[in-house]
Amino acid sequence: MSDIFKLVAKRLGLGLVTLFVVSILIFFAVELLPGDIAQAVLGQGATEETVARLRERMGLNDPAIMRYLNWLGGALQGDFGVSLISGTSVTEAITQRFLNTLFLAAYAAVIAVPFAIILGVLVALMRDTLFDRAANVLTLTSISSPEFFLGYVLILYLSVKTGWFPAISSLSPGMGFGELLERTFLPALTLVLVVTAHMMRMTRAAIINLLASPYIEMARLKGMPPWKVIVKHALPNAWAPIINVVALNLAYLITGVVLVEVVFVYPGIGQLLVDAVSKRDFPIVQACCLIFAATFILLNLAADVGSILTNPRLRHPK
Amino acid sequence: MSVFVIGYYSVLIAASCLAVYLERRRVFMLLFSLTLISFVAGILGGVSALRTITILVAVFALAAGVSYAFKEFLIQISRPGLARELRTAPLTAAFGMFVIFTYAIAGIFAPWIAPHGQAEVISTSFAPPDANMLLGADQLGRDVFSRIVYGARNTVGLALAATVLAFVMGALAGLLAAVKGGWFDQFMGRFADVIMSVPSLIFALLMLSIFGTSLLVIVVVVAVIYSPRVFRLTRAVAGNVVVMDYIEAAKLRGEGDWYLIRREILPNSTAPLVAEFGLEFCFVFLLIAGLSFLGLGIQPPTADWGSMVRENATLISFGDITPLIPAAAIALLTVAVNFVVDWMLFRSTGLKG
Repeated sequence: MSDIFKLVAKRLGLGLVTLFVVSILIFFAVELLPGDIAQAVLGQGATEETVARLRERMGLNDPAIMRYLNWLGGALQGDFGVSLISGTSVTEAITQRFLNTLFLAAYAAVIAVPFAIILGVLVALMRDTLFDRAANVLTLTSISSPEFFLGYVLILYLSVKTGWFPAISSLSPGMGFGELLERTFLPALTLVLVVTAHMMRMTRAAIINLLASPYIEMARLKGMPPWKVIVKHALPNAWAPIINVVALNLAYLITGVVLVEVVFVYPGIGQLLVDAVSKRDFPIVQACCLIFAATFILLNLAADVGSILTNPRLRHPK
Repeated sequence: MSVFVIGYYSVLIAASCLAVYLERRRVFMLLFSLTLISFVAGILGGVSALRTITILVAVFALAAGVSYAFKEFLIQISRPGLARELRTAPLTAAFGMFVIFTYAIAGIFAPWIAPHGQAEVISTSFAPPDANMLLGADQLGRDVFSRIVYGARNTVGLALAATVLAFVMGALAGLLAAVKGGWFDQFMGRFADVIMSVPSLIFALLMLSIFGTSLLVIVVVVAVIYSPRVFRLTRAVAGNVVVMDYIEAAKLRGEGDWYLIRREILPNSTAPLVAEFGLEFCFVFLLIAGLSFLGLGIQPPTADWGSMVRENATLISFGDITPLIPAAAIALLTVAVNFVVDWMLFRSTGLKG
């Protein structure tokens, strides 16, 4: 048992190190900015005095290492500094939006995960039939389409032409849960379409890979009924790849969420990031990037730990 | 019951019976399930639903016919060795090649194909389509059709440049890492890990917020983001080649690293790399389209598919599909490349096993 703990702890440590390196990357990328940050933010027309004041406020007169440690220390306590444009706390701007984004991602995941896994297994069992071919072409199309294309197609057909769902997800604080689900249905559905396609293809590949192994053939040859082969022999070994697929695709949701939020004007962290990028509001950009990267690393970590826990073979690395 | 509906069902049923008579089971299943679906769709959606189905089937059949003809054409004009391989290509791959060919023509000959310039204001904003403007005008009164044609040059060109750069950097680093090994290999591997642990779009946004959105910056940033994928693949493929005896022999002959890479390793690892180039192009293309949709890609007035969608998105709320055309163009090219890559991967794994 202690072996597992050691292995998982090692993996967690590695994840922490990666996160640390990424935080360095995110912080010092801004340092690469040619010239002076304060000057760049204020533009060429700014007077010496205002630039000096902004430098003072941003703490630019300290050495970079000190600023990094301050920033990291603050970030660990949930304090990401103040916005360059509005001068308000970044944390305040982010918190509610981050919760909204998490809600959207969770909404999409709750629909997509069971749907994709069931379909993936079905397609794998019926491989090389017409159904499989059709599913292959459909999922490929869905993966290849940019998220905004799917989003606008859904808006056109489910909102503008039929009026079933609202095209813009405006959220207000006192909204009931049912209304919330209805207002955010289209962005969630867009994410579901993209993620389901990915997840289905990966599940299909994993299951087909598994069904080709000799012990499955053995079970079949000794006359076991097909459902029993699946339940008793294939499924226990399929958990590891399936957990992996789910975690990797949830990580994929994070990138998709940015474009989808912009299409549906959803008040989430992705939209905030895009706005901050075009305004060059670096503290917000850094905070959003750190949050996205941390979630991404965390989910990848979860995938690794999940497969270590479900696959005993990984516990004894050669 | 209009003439159209009666004609529609009689054609379908007659075709199904013909398929049964000729003992084409799959064709029959396809046709007859289409008939059954049409029953349900016809009851729910009326004649317009049947018309939509007819149009969809016609488009599908047209695409299949064109791909079939294009495949035959390619087989005729290529060398015997290549022709034999092309014969094994599924229809989807032929379709993919046809689409890529069309885009290439549109991109190369854009100034001759497009009736107007990409930045030329010729009408009022959002003017409806007429004889002069095939798809109407955009928000500034520029011809949408011309801009889509120019977009094939700008957007695809940019994506291609970024992919080539990513590929050269990644493959070179991967090959060097495989040949040299040691600390260089370790360092590059960890470096690739760090880049890959940040979601690509987020990384691109961070970099573009710092360096601004000039074309050179976009190409370099996107190339850096996607080169680790190529690096890993090349490193893995080349790693399998490096341990071969003939590499050992070449080393004993006193050949240098560069000779090993160029003459021994590269020729033995092209197949997976070519397929990876296609996949990589899809990722890069989608990332660049996403960035320009967010207003951070190619800057106006240069025509670009991603930003065209964003600029004309208001039309969608009036039920107009024009803004979706550039987005569909992006999707179509990505699907096409994926189809071709699928076939190549199948071929390269099929040859091995």
